[in-house]
Formats: sequence, C-alpha cells, structure tokens
Amino acid sequence: MATATPPSELSPSSVFHARALTKTYGDGDAVVRALAGVDLDCSAGEFVVVLGASGSGKSTLLNLLGGLDTPTSGTLFYRGWDLGRADEAGLTRYRRDAVGFVFQFYNLIPSLTARENVALITEIAADPMAPEEALQLVGLGARMDHFPAQLSGGEQQRVAIARAIAKRPAVLMCDEPTGALDVRTGMAVLEAIERINRDLGTLTLIITHNSVMAGMADRVLTLSDGHITGEKRNATRVAATSLAW
Amino acid sequence: MSLLDLKLLRDLRALKSQALAVALVMACGLAMMIMTRSLIASLENTRDTYYRENRFAEIFARLKRAPNSVAAQLAAIPGVAAVQTGIALQVTLDLPGVIEPATGLVQSLPEQGELVLNRLHLRSGRILLGRESMGEILAGEAFAEANNLHPGDRIAAVLYGRRQNFRVAGIVLSPEFVFEAPPGAALPNNKTYGVFWMPYKELATASNLDGAFNNISLRLAPGASEAEVIAAVDQVLRPYGGRGAYGRESHPSHTRVRDEIKILQGLSIGFPLVFLSVAAFMTNAVMSRQITLQREQIAILKAFGFSNWEIGGHYLKFSLVIVVGGTVLGTVGGVALGHRLVEMYHLFFRFPALEFHLATSVVVMAIIVSMVAAIIGVVGAVRAAVRLPPAEAMRPEPPSSYRPALVERLGLGRAFTATFRMALRNIERRPARSLLTMGALALATGILVVPNAFRDGIGHVLDYQWDMIQRQTVFVALIEPGPARALADFRALPGVVLAEPVRGAAVELRAGNHFRRLTITGLPARAELYRVIDASDRQLTLPAQGLVLSAKLAEVLGVKPGEAISVRVLEGKRPQFTVPIVALAEDFAGTAAYMEIGALNRLLGEGDRVSGAYMSVSAGEWVNFLEAVKASPRAVSVVVKNRIREGFRETTAQSIGLLQQIYLTFATVVAFGIVYNSARISLSERQRELATLRVIGFTRGEVGAVLVGELAVLTLLAMPCGLVIGAGFARLILASVNTEFVRLPLILTPANYAFAVLVVAVASLVSALLACRRLDQLDLVGVLKARD
Ligand SMILES: Nc1ncnc2c1ncn2[C@@H]1O[C@H](COP(=O)(O)OP(=O)(O)OP(=O)(O)O)[C@@H](O)[C@H]1O
Ligand SMILES: [Mg+2]
Repeated sequence: MATATPPSELSPSSVFHARALTKTYGDGDAVVRALAGVDLDCSAGEFVVVLGASGSGKSTLLNLLGGLDTPTSGTLFYRGWDLGRADEAGLTRYRRDAVGFVFQFYNLIPSLTARENVALITEIAADPMAPEEALQLVGLGARMDHFPAQLSGGEQQRVAIARAIAKRPAVLMCDEPTGALDVRTGMAVLEAIERINRDLGTLTLIITHNSVMAGMADRVLTLSDGHITGEKRNATRVAATSLAW
Repeated sequence: MSLLDLKLLRDLRALKSQALAVALVMACGLAMMIMTRSLIASLENTRDTYYRENRFAEIFARLKRAPNSVAAQLAAIPGVAAVQTGIALQVTLDLPGVIEPATGLVQSLPEQGELVLNRLHLRSGRILLGRESMGEILAGEAFAEANNLHPGDRIAAVLYGRRQNFRVAGIVLSPEFVFEAPPGAALPNNKTYGVFWMPYKELATASNLDGAFNNISLRLAPGASEAEVIAAVDQVLRPYGGRGAYGRESHPSHTRVRDEIKILQGLSIGFPLVFLSVAAFMTNAVMSRQITLQREQIAILKAFGFSNWEIGGHYLKFSLVIVVGGTVLGTVGGVALGHRLVEMYHLFFRFPALEFHLATSVVVMAIIVSMVAAIIGVVGAVRAAVRLPPAEAMRPEPPSSYRPALVERLGLGRAFTATFRMALRNIERRPARSLLTMGALALATGILVVPNAFRDGIGHVLDYQWDMIQRQTVFVALIEPGPARALADFRALPGVVLAEPVRGAAVELRAGNHFRRLTITGLPARAELYRVIDASDRQLTLPAQGLVLSAKLAEVLGVKPGEAISVRVLEGKRPQFTVPIVALAEDFAGTAAYMEIGALNRLLGEGDRVSGAYMSVSAGEWVNFLEAVKASPRAVSVVVKNRIREGFRETTAQSIGLLQQIYLTFATVVAFGIVYNSARISLSERQRELATLRVIGFTRGEVGAVLVGELAVLTLLAMPCGLVIGAGFARLILASVNTEFVRLPLILTPANYAFAVLVVAVASLVSALLACRRLDQLDLVGVLKARD
C-alpha cells in the first residue's frame, strides 16, 4: 500500500483517522448530505456501536470506512494510508486484505455450502484460518456442508460472520447484523461477533437500531443528519448473553 | 400511448443489446430464407422466361450423319412440334497470345432465317444471318469473357484438320448453354472450353457434312409423351448413326440449373429452421429472466385488475419488437446476400439477365415464421407469469437451492476452487438452459466445419483426379477413331516422352431396367498416364476381357463385380454383346466404364483403332509441341491438364470463399449472440452474488471469471459436440450433392477442426468480455441494502 504522510497527532494504535469526512449524493437542488463533516478516530481492538435514526448516515459512514465508497471531501486514513484518495484497485486490495463485512441480509453465495462460502475468502487471503476453524468459532461446526437454502437465518448470518473473520481482518464491519433475526438468534450472532473481537483483537464496528446493544460496546457513537452528535465510552462491557432486550 | 407501452419502451431500452443479439440470430435465419426463396423464384422465372422466349428444345440427339431430308421424317413423328437440325463440331481453338489451345464446340446457324429452337440471345456485336459473312463466328459469353474476346477480335480454329481464321462478329448466349461447359463437367472451365456458332454452309463444307446434319433438337406438342417421341427419334436416326436421344432431364446444362435450385430449396428450409430455433430459445431465456425480475410488477398489475391477456400481450409485444428488428435486419442481409450469390452464379450460369428480386411474399412469410418462433419462445415464460396468483407473486422468489455437481458427487471435486464449483453447480441447476446454450454453441462450431470440408473435399478430388488418375501433360483427341499408326504420329511430335492410346466408344449399358449411355474408355492394360484406381488407391490392371465400372455407375445400374452387363454400341457397326464386370474403380467426377483397349477393339470389330492419346511432354519442348499439334490436321481437341486444373482452382476458390464468408458470419453471430445473452442473463440473475464478491474483496477480473466460468465450461463442452455435429452436417450435405456428376469425399482435417474451435472460442471470449464490462456498473452499496 502506498503511504501518504500521516497526520502528526496519530497514535500508533490508530486504525481509522477521519477529519471533516463528508459524503454528498446528487447535485444542485437535489443534493443530499449523507455525511456532513465527521471527525473520528478508532483504534485496534475497539468495539464500536453506531446508533442513529434511519437516514442519519450510518451506512454511509460504514461504507466509507469499509472502502466501498469514497468520500466527497475530508480526509480518511487507514493505518496511515490515505483511504480517501485510493483508486478502485487500491480499495479492492484494502477490502480483500483488511476488512470483514457482515450485512443485514447475509449475502451468502447460494451455490456454495457453508464451508465453501468461507473457503471462497480463505482461497484469496494472505494469512487465513482454516474454514472449519472459522465455522467452529461461530458455533457451526456441525453444519459445514449445508447450502444456504438449508440453513436458518441466524445460521446463515453466522456463516457470513465466519466468512468475514476467516481471513483475520483488521476491521470487522457489521451493518445491522441482527436486523433480520429474532431476539434469540440475534443474541447468538452477537455472541459470535463479541468473541471474535475479544479473541482476535479485531476492531469491530456495528450499526444497529437497537440501543440495548450499546451495552456491549467500548464506545457508542450516535449519528443524526450526517453528524456525530453523541459519543459515550462504557467503563465496562456487558456480555451479549446478559443484554436486557 | 398507454402506460404499459411506456413501460415496454423503457424495458426495451434496458435490454437493447440483448434484444439486438436475439434479432441478429433471427436475422441470420431470415436472411438465408429470404435470399434462398427469392433466388429460387428469380432463377425459376428467369429460366422459364428464357427457355420460352428463346424456344429451348425438349429432346436432343447426336448422330453421325443424316441427309437433310431426314428432318422431314423427324417432323412427322407424332407429338413433335418443331425440329431444328444442324451441325455440331468439336474444334481446337488457337487464341491470340495464349500458347495452350482451347477446345470449342461449334454449331451451325441455319441457311435461311433464324434458329427455330435454342435461339441465341445477342450480348454485343451482331448476329449472323443466313448465307452472309464468310469467316465470321459468334462466341458464347462465358468463354469470351474468360479470354477477353470482343466483337472484331480474331480467333483461329482447326476445323476438321484445317486451320481457319475467324472474326468474332458477336457475343451470344444460348438456352442450351446456361451452364457453359463440356457435357458431364462438374464445374465450368471457361478459359479452356467455349461454344460457338457459324453459318451452316461454311461449317458443313469444313466438316464434309454438306447437305447433312449430325445434331438435332426437338420441341414437343402439348400433351405429347416424351418417352414415345424419344423412342421414335431413335428409330428414325438408327440408320444414320444416332447416339440416342434424351430429354431435358439428361441435358447437361439444364440439370445443373435444376440441381442448384434443389440445393437452394434444401437451404431455404434447413438453415432458417435451425437459426430460428436458436432465436426462439434466446427469446425464451430473455423473457423468462425479464418476467422473473418483474414478478412483483406483474402481481401488482394483476391486483389492479389487468387481465392475463393484457399482461401476456404486453410481453408478447416485447418479442414482436425483436421480430420486427430481426426481419428488417434479415431482409437487408438477405438482399445483400442475394446480390452476392447472383454475382457468384455468373461464374456458373449465363442468363440474359439474372437479377435478384426480393419477393415480398417471402418477407411476409419470414415475418410469420419468425413471429411463430418468437411466440414459441415467449409463450412458456408468459404462461408462468400470468398463472402466478397475485398474492404469491408479491413475495420474493424463494432462495434458489443447489446441490453438489455430478462430478463432485462422484468424488472428483476435491481439487476444484470454490468459484469453479459455483460454475458447475449453476450449470447443473438449469439443465435445460445449459443444454440449449451448449447446443447453440455446438451448432456454431459445427456449421464452421462445413465449408472447409467442402474445400478439402474438392481439393482432394482435384489432386486425386490429376495426380492419381490422370498424369498426362496433355490429351489429344482425333476427329474420328483412326488406325493404330496414328499413335506413332503422336509419338513423333516434338517433346513427347510417352504417348498412350485411348479408344472411346459410345454405348448404352443395360442391366435389368437400368441403363446409362456413356463412353467406354479403352486403355492399355496397365497405363502409366491414365490409371484406373480402385477404392484402396491401387492401380487396377485392366483384364483381357470384361469391364471395369465406376463404383457409382455400378450402384446406379445395380450391378456387382462378377455379374454380366449388356452393352449396345451406338456407333460404327453397332454390335451388341454381354460382358462380365470384373472390378470397380474409384472416381469422383462423372461415371466411367473402362476396358483394355485391345479387348474393346475386338468387340467393336473395326480393327486396331485409337480415338486419341494421353501424352506426357517435356517442358523444354512444350511450345514446339503445341505448335505442331495445332497444325496437325487430325487433332480435334487438345486438353492441357494444368490449364483445366488452374481453372477449377479459380472457380472453386471463388465459390467456396463466398460459402466460407456466409458460414463464418452466421457462426460468429450465433456464438456471439448466445454467449452475450447468457452472460447478460447470468449477470442479471447473479447481480447480488457478484456484487457481494466485489464487496468482500474480489477484483473485477476475478468476478468476471466467476461470471464467465460457467460459459467457458459450456463452450468447452460444446466444442467437441460441435465438431461431431459439423462432421455430420458435412456428411449429410455431401451425401445430398453426391450424384453421378460429382461426388465429394468427406475429408476432415485437424486444421478444419482447429479453425472452427478457434472462431467460436474467439467470438465467445469477445462477447463475454463485452458483457463483463457491465460488471463496472454493479452497485456495490445498493446490493447490500435489500433482498432481491
Ligand atoms: N445512492 C444514494 N443516492 C442518494 N441519496 C442517498 C444514497 N445513499 C444514501 N442516500 C441518502 O443518504 C442519507 C444517509 O443514508 P444511509 O444509508 O447512510 O442512512 P442509514 O443511517 O444507514 O439509514 P438506515 O438506518 O435506514 O439504514 C439518506 O438520506 C439517504 O437517503
Ligand atoms: Mg443503513
């Protein structure tokens, strides 16, 4: 990765460093400021929960941090590398090497079994764990040879998590990972994410509508109208299993 | 415009390249149909008008010599409406600036007035009438064009041993020589063979036939029986050395035109059928995908009270737009193709005016046929859509279920990468679609094999004919069979290394109900120059008794070696005898019967005679040899092998070239269309999956490989099938042109196969890459927002 001059105040454990991060869609009268100047620093191993009303810019922020999109203005550094100005190939490289994604609708490949969905990533990653190991981590050791159509929603989501973490990513991005699940299955999914964060020290960002999940986090960010309007650090983290839904 | 029609327009815009791909494949079939059907109509009309206006005869016969008074006897035969007698004479031609002589057939023009039958059509210069103009001649157009002869040019001909100079008065066409070639020739060779006309008196004097004729044509009265008239004509001409009369169905020029129309008729059905089937399949694939995508829209329309008919009609309209596009493209292509073909026909057929006329009825038929194809393609998909209860259609389609592919179930999948597994499982999940895609690709590969199989077959025949069988430099024929010492005269010509005699005799061979008229060729038992070859490429020794027949002739006559056949000689003393068939010879052009020359002469009972000689001439003496032979009074035709060979090569190169272009275009369109269409459908169906791959870090190339992998597997599987299909096509087509005149062996070379594979591979690759460009437009963020 090309290195740009990192800002001087950067601490060695800093993973993301964003200043005045802005994303607008459209132009003229129809312009939408999805993100209107966000300053944010995240460090390794942190567990960050992002809350906010619908349309407040949560997904937009995550997409920028995850290298799916580029900011309209402002700066964004990943470990001193200028993510904001990376080109298409650079972003692909970044997503491939550093980021694990978990989405609301799982986005598994229907023609591949659980194991193969994970293997898909481990085949192209630099230092992956075995697909079986990743599936064990999310408690799916017994369902490895099932196709997505044969798995429940929660199980599919846990396969998606295994797929996201199998390459030992530096950051794990989860956009409403429990949005399509009932409380009990949601809990199992959160447990899996929590364990990854704890055991592998992966910087984890979770978007949710459910403020109860805030208890799990080291830090809780609240977005509204494209601005960070609240930032709260928890002294202690509550285990996923003990969250009061 | 209704809102549904507006929706139709927007949908069409989104699918324009796919619609174009389908329309192009459809257009190929339609172009072929429009071209062939229009051409058949043009050929038939032109031919019939030409035959009628120029009074083409219905019965023909050659004889040795009959006094002109016999014409009245012929005219008196019941059922004969008109008689044209005259003289036809083989001559050797000496062209200015060409050392090799050519061969010509000169026919007489009547002393009084115009020809009654087979009237000439003047192209340029003027016609010769009656007794006027000594030393002038009319030349057939094909020969004149090939040799750059114009009215006013001079040409020397050796007429019955006398060399005479003529001035070309005019260039003409004759309904007798639409196909201007020596009888039995498979291809014209206009540089070395031509037809001519000159006034009776001059020709009669030169050939010692004054007051007599040796050639007749007849026209039948309405309702007359051809067979009865032929029998009566043979009866009348028998004392005058009649060689047997025949009708149009045996007329060399007429049969060639008829066979061409037959081939066009075959093409006019086969090609469109195949291409429109592929187009129907493509339409079905596009519409099925479209309807799946619009499941919810359909449900809403139904919920709002639109009837099944209205919804079905909406999707049918969609395919009708494709039909209209295909028809327009097909008509344009068909007309262009038709003009090219008419141009090529000019190589073979000479009509006063053969023009390509687009037959409107054919275009209407094309629209109907392609509409039927499109409707067949759409109906299945639309039926599924309108059958859907509205409530169910509102829900998204259940997630597709997969299972390990067959090769994996067999335990062979361990080494496959995940993306390759995706390809295999996708193929297996939609077996019908995969098979049809493969079928279309196989078809594209297959049709590419055909023109090259033709080319290689013709190449083989030419090599076989000119290297294996006929190894002479030149063949020289005598005016009429002469004594054996003529051979010594040939041997004495400058540069002759080897001269071998040949004796020809016109005969009728009869076995049961089957009979054929042809010339028995008498050759030395084991000749060096003209070698009779058997099916295993070995030279046959002609036995002291009995006949060797072409395998094809034996088949036509229904005889086998060991059986006897009756021979009726049609010239000289007209003996009849029965001889055994001793062996079969392998040849590809025409049919032949061979006999040892001594044996033949014994049976003919005229002593040791020769009709001509095959000679090998040393290159250094070539010019001297030709000078001497042209001056020789007895040599009537001089056939130079290499000139003929060269002529064949040129003619076949041009016609095969056009054939190759047509097949190449069609194959490319099919391969391109089917791959592009499949890739686009795949892209649409798997948009979410592919975008997900991009999100989790796959590069564009890797995702493209996932998309194309499936098609690559299908293409690779299709190619060997295609080669087998192509070999089958070639076999079928060659079998259909396998006649007594031409037979082509099936020659399939690795180069031919490699070419077919290469073209399909390149066309597929390019179209896949084109479809892959759409991967850039994948909405990475959008696909994560919602279920599809
Ligand atoms: N492609 C786009 N074009 C135009 N506007 C967009 C686009 N994507 C997002 N927006 C707008 O940007 C704003 C922020 O969208 P974003 O998806 O980040 O919201 P969110 O906080 O994730 O909401 P939700 O909780 O509903 O997912 C919204 O007003 C949205 O309408
Ligand atoms: Mg969102």
